[in-house]
Amino acid sequence: MMREAVFAHPVTVGIVAATVAVVLAAFAVIGVMTLTGRGTPELRRELWLRTLSWCLLLPLMMGPVLLGREWVIAAATLLGLACLREFDRATGLFRETLVAGIVVVGILAANFAALDHWYAFFVALWPLTVGVIVIGTIPLDRPAGYVQRTALGILAYMLFGAGLAHLSFMANEPGYRPILLMLLTTVALSDVAAFTFGKLIGGPKLLPATSPNKSIAGAVGALCVTTLLVATLSFFIFRGTPMAQPHWLLVFGVIVGIGAQAGDLMLSSIKRDIGIKDMGTILPGHGGVLDRFNSLLLVAPAAFHFIQFFVGFGMGQPARLITGG
Amino acid sequence: MEFKLRPARDHGLETADRLRSLSRERGLGSIVLGSLWRAMLRGYLAVYHRLEVTGRENLPEAPFVLIANHTSHLDALTLSGVLRGEPARRAHALAAGDTFFGSTLSSVFAAYAVNALPVWRKRTKAGELATLRQRLVEDRLVYILFPEGTRARDGAMAPFQPGIGVLVAGTDVPVVPCFLDGCHAAWPPDRSVPAPRKLRVRIGAPLTFADAPATRAGWEDTARQCEAAVRALAP
Repeated sequence: MMREAVFAHPVTVGIVAATVAVVLAAFAVIGVMTLTGRGTPELRRELWLRTLSWCLLLPLMMGPVLLGREWVIAAATLLGLACLREFDRATGLFRETLVAGIVVVGILAANFAALDHWYAFFVALWPLTVGVIVIGTIPLDRPAGYVQRTALGILAYMLFGAGLAHLSFMANEPGYRPILLMLLTTVALSDVAAFTFGKLIGGPKLLPATSPNKSIAGAVGALCVTTLLVATLSFFIFRGTPMAQPHWLLVFGVIVGIGAQAGDLMLSSIKRDIGIKDMGTILPGHGGVLDRFNSLLLVAPAAFHFIQFFVGFGMGQPARLITGG
Repeated sequence: MEFKLRPARDHGLETADRLRSLSRERGLGSIVLGSLWRAMLRGYLAVYHRLEVTGRENLPEAPFVLIANHTSHLDALTLSGVLRGEPARRAHALAAGDTFFGSTLSSVFAAYAVNALPVWRKRTKAGELATLRQRLVEDRLVYILFPEGTRARDGAMAPFQPGIGVLVAGTDVPVVPCFLDGCHAAWPPDRSVPAPRKLRVRIGAPLTFADAPATRAGWEDTARQCEAAVRALAP
């Protein structure tokens, strides 16, 4: 499989440089706040905690992208399994060991299909895994709770296996680095933009019963920022392809912008329904892995298939690297 | 249709707290690790100690409480090695917190391999026993428990503490008495590693205490009956 140099694309250089600059600026701002005594001690502590968490998270997110294809697939697999664990324990699906086990195998299989660069198997896995989940617990002869465990298992596989593994499959494109870095950073930025616009403008709430802290101003502001940023970066990434027309680039931006916020609201709905605040405790200042990566869940497949429609992933690259055939 | 979402009882706890929590519920990883550990343990008990088990037919479906005389660190391992299938996956050894949950590393081993729950000697709160009792019934667990409260250093069985009564009095949960023979000779408190001595486990008929009152007298009476049942199995 063809491999490109790590910093071959100027967008890769730009995103990495901008990220480092933003983190340094954040430290400078919080440092000045601490020195001048601006803001409450709790706010400053929260900001320190969040920024330090980002210092751990960003290398974990961007490092595999820079290191290479296999690293991306390994990271997406671990992310899928970590998300599944939190989802299992929050919903109670972990008590259904067999279903939880089938979903683990499904996540591994979807990422294996990406590693193998076998698109037909990658696509076939969603109906196949759903079929195994549906059939799996019938032999237990325990119909009580069947709908619940099957539905939760399918939702978990679709989000953390079939959905997230699209990130893995993207790595089969030799020029995947700027695409993945753009998605990872713009999706994270969408959260920050929603928070900032919400605080600056305020106004009516978006969906108060689902997520009481989100405002309409924040949602619209984040959508505008994300759309424009994705469209601009995509202009440079997809230059010379059928996708590089202003209207398609804007549609792509809107898809990423809406996908990011919808993923966030989807997780909020799950948490409200269960009655919990966070999905986990592993990331100080953020909560669980899912609380941080919820925005990526829907963006990964949506962005993949939009780009696939115009450009494709790994076209002309050798396929079925492991299974042959 | 029963459609009820319920998070893990230990949801929201930091990792170190979760390992020591009486609310800890097993996930897939813990079950897989626990099964590997039990397979190794069964091999060790069969080969090194030539473990002989009689009365296995007395083991009911979960939930139940497995009790025995306590003379050695081999006791809990031997009893957990006796269980098979679903009861084995649901089994928690109630272990001394100060011995097995002192450091995070020992807690990881105690929680993930042995699936132990910590009991803090001399400072067990009523709420902790209530939690254990509630989980025994609601989560259909199996507890491995030594009602003497500590290892008999000389190998002679001591009187049972009333804690076993608090757990089961007034419930339908059966208590299965067992007698462990040879553990003290194989691994007495003054030896650093076990000797390859033969171990025997005798499992008696289950007892239930559905009518026992939830009073001090009721708990003590339950403990006395349990103690008599274990003593009756002694050779």
